[in-house]
Amino acid sequence: MKHITKVYGSLYANNDVHLTLDKGEILAVVGENGAGKSTLMKILYGLEQPTSGKIYLNGQLQHFRSPHDAINQKIGMVQQHFMLLNPCTVAENIVYGREPRKGLFFDREEAVRVTEALCEKYGLHIDPRRLVGDCPVGLQQRVEILKVLYQDADIIIFDEPSAVLTPQEVNELLRTMRKLAEMGKSIIIITHKLHEVMAVADRVMVMRLGRYIQEMAKTETSIEEMSYLMVGRRIVERQVPPRKPTGRVLEVQDLVLAGSEAKNILDHFSIHVDGGEIVGIAGVSGNGQSELIQCLTGLLQPTSGKVMLKGQDVAGKSVGDIRTAGCACIPEDRYLWGCAARASLTETAIMAHQRSSKISRNGLLNNKGARDFTQSLLDGYDVRNSGQTQKAGELSGGNIQKLIVAREIEQHSPLLIAAEPTRGVDIGAMEFIHNKLLEKREQGDAVLLISSELTEIMSLSDRIYVIYEGRAVGEFRKADATEEDLGILMMGGKLNEAVS
Amino acid sequence: MSSAYIASIINSTLRSTTPILLAALGSAICSRVGVFNVALEAQMLIGCFFSIAVNYATGSLLLAVGAGILSGALVGLVVALLQVKYKAADMVIGTSLNLLVQGGTTFLLYLLFGLRGVLNDPKLVPLYKINLPVIRDIPFLGRVLENLTILDYICYIVAALLFVWLFKTVSGFHILSVGINKAAAESLGTKATRIQMQMVVLSGALCGLGGTALSMGQVTMFTENMTSGRGFIAMAAASLGMSHPLLTIFSSLFFGLCQGIGLALQNVIKSQLTMTLPYVATIVALVLFSRRSARRQA
Ligand SMILES: Nc1ncnc2c1ncn2[C@@H]1O[C@H](COP(=O)(O)OP(=O)(O)OP(=O)(O)O)[C@@H](O)[C@H]1O
Ligand SMILES: [Mg+2]
Repeated sequence: MKHITKVYGSLYANNDVHLTLDKGEILAVVGENGAGKSTLMKILYGLEQPTSGKIYLNGQLQHFRSPHDAINQKIGMVQQHFMLLNPCTVAENIVYGREPRKGLFFDREEAVRVTEALCEKYGLHIDPRRLVGDCPVGLQQRVEILKVLYQDADIIIFDEPSAVLTPQEVNELLRTMRKLAEMGKSIIIITHKLHEVMAVADRVMVMRLGRYIQEMAKTETSIEEMSYLMVGRRIVERQVPPRKPTGRVLEVQDLVLAGSEAKNILDHFSIHVDGGEIVGIAGVSGNGQSELIQCLTGLLQPTSGKVMLKGQDVAGKSVGDIRTAGCACIPEDRYLWGCAARASLTETAIMAHQRSSKISRNGLLNNKGARDFTQSLLDGYDVRNSGQTQKAGELSGGNIQKLIVAREIEQHSPLLIAAEPTRGVDIGAMEFIHNKLLEKREQGDAVLLISSELTEIMSLSDRIYVIYEGRAVGEFRKADATEEDLGILMMGGKLNEAVS
Repeated sequence: MSSAYIASIINSTLRSTTPILLAALGSAICSRVGVFNVALEAQMLIGCFFSIAVNYATGSLLLAVGAGILSGALVGLVVALLQVKYKAADMVIGTSLNLLVQGGTTFLLYLLFGLRGVLNDPKLVPLYKINLPVIRDIPFLGRVLENLTILDYICYIVAALLFVWLFKTVSGFHILSVGINKAAAESLGTKATRIQMQMVVLSGALCGLGGTALSMGQVTMFTENMTSGRGFIAMAAASLGMSHPLLTIFSSLFFGLCQGIGLALQNVIKSQLTMTLPYVATIVALVLFSRRSARRQA
């Protein structure tokens, strides 16, 4: 790719970018949120047309008008947001576009067989007859990979593939990538997790503000150098001074949420969070964290149990009531719960602030107030945007996350539930968001942090609970928590008291 | 109740079902590709009008049926362009087309033939009534199938073909994928918008044929606004049939039955009251159905 430039309105998403890729190589593309990484990949995959610039493949000039053209040239992409047909089977999703036929008909039996053969060939196992919607995220991603492999792609693009995976799934993914590279596939991976870069890439390319900054062989760089090039400054280790908690803010007692099967999704779950305290919930995702958040915020009705928020039982109350009672929430899935993709930035920013006196009076919106407020969030949290009328869905993944974090922190509520608050944000923004959470703690508010990133939990939390199969299976003070102990409990193991 | 009476109710049920089923299949394929088509009524009514107009002008059945299908498809094309291509609001497009065609056909009737409200002429050629020699003489069945037209049979074949196409072929799989996740379909190189437009045009053709079945079925004539809400009943039938071609047969038969009963009771109760039966049934069915699906989601 040479001299690639892409302009959205007045914004240069890509500005004269070069990219080369050799056979059998893994290239990592890193850079801040909104640096233009996804845009560059969408151009390579034919989803977007460059404003100027050219793409050469094996020395030949290419014009990709649609993904169809790119697929024909053996380029495949696993997008940041999965592109799957949930009510269909794994096999149907994989063979899409090049289906086996029997006469006039779609031969679904053959589709299952070719899927099995494909799984065998690449050592990626999955039940072809399962519905994709029933598969956990890790398997859904595997479907995406197999889809690309079925199209016989030689170049595979991964856009933030590990953002939604558990640590185990990430390791598996990295192994798969290595294996594919050994089989002669060329791979491009976009990621914010620099240790993944060190683990898997051959070469690293850094982008900033739409521009190509530098590239280097992995062996000649370090995490420190990369982060310096990405953000343009050094990231320092943070020291968190201990702080005395003030009174109780949240107390969850014996919370039960019955599932469709015999097992409870939340099983007599009890925790408490005090003011001036960050409490982390560690766990492999899928152990009831999502349901816990939904019960606490009023999206789900718990079967039994109490949720005491500032002394008031809010279990089963409506979302509005719980927010009024003093709870804000950074949701885990920013597109599902966090924003409406087609709403403007102003609309996105004032959600749940609409009743504050700055933004509305007597039920009428004060547009100037709303704009000023939005601008203060956008500026204060460094959300890269091209104006308040931009649609939320057009922000880069990390920037929409920053906007949602800004909106929820600025609620100044006694309790903040932060679920995966730094999912998909760059290291600079991650540091920033972490500081904001700590600031909130300084102000004496309570923060409940739910994250699948163990390092995030360990560095921020004053106390840590481990959740496993809907139960709180362990409680640690910060000083006593070790990664090993947490890991054992997260996997359903037991701690040997004598040893610990 | 005599068996002859029951047979005659079934017979009129079958006749009433045909236009509803054809239009409901059109509605079903639209919702299968994620398009909310409200203009079914317009697509049907224009089919009623042009099949009769061409019938009157040429005396050719083939041309008449063709005109019904084509005119419906043309209205479908308008919907496809405005609603799918240029993304105009579905309710606005649908409602205005329904009103436009209602007024437009009345106006054309006057303009072309100088008639007000009704075109009913001995010159009009009716569709062949099928009375098979052997079956005609079987006591109950003969009465049930008496005087049905070819369209009354064809509509079930259309439903079966649609089923096979959508659920058994590759192109059908691609069509369904557009409704499931348009972005995913596009990212795999399917031209999703084009498929949506094609399906809306096809729904227009099916509704046009449904309109033809209405104006050239039991009677051969055109009256002002003769669809009287059948497009909306068809929408209800499609949603009750979960946009599945085969299930839609049954939901359409249900609404056909309501009309059949309504007709049969005409002589017993006031006809103004009996004629409301299909509409009341539509509302009741939709309420019951949506409550059930709401509970399933919870
Ligand atoms: N469809 C669009 N319309 C307008 N602006 C857009 C559009 N898509 C992207 N942008 C802008 O282009 C810039 C680059 O976005 P891109 O998605 O490539 O960033 P990124 O490097 O992938 O960031 P992240 O790490 O947060 O995913 C952003 O500032 C974004 O707001
Ligand atoms: Mg991105």
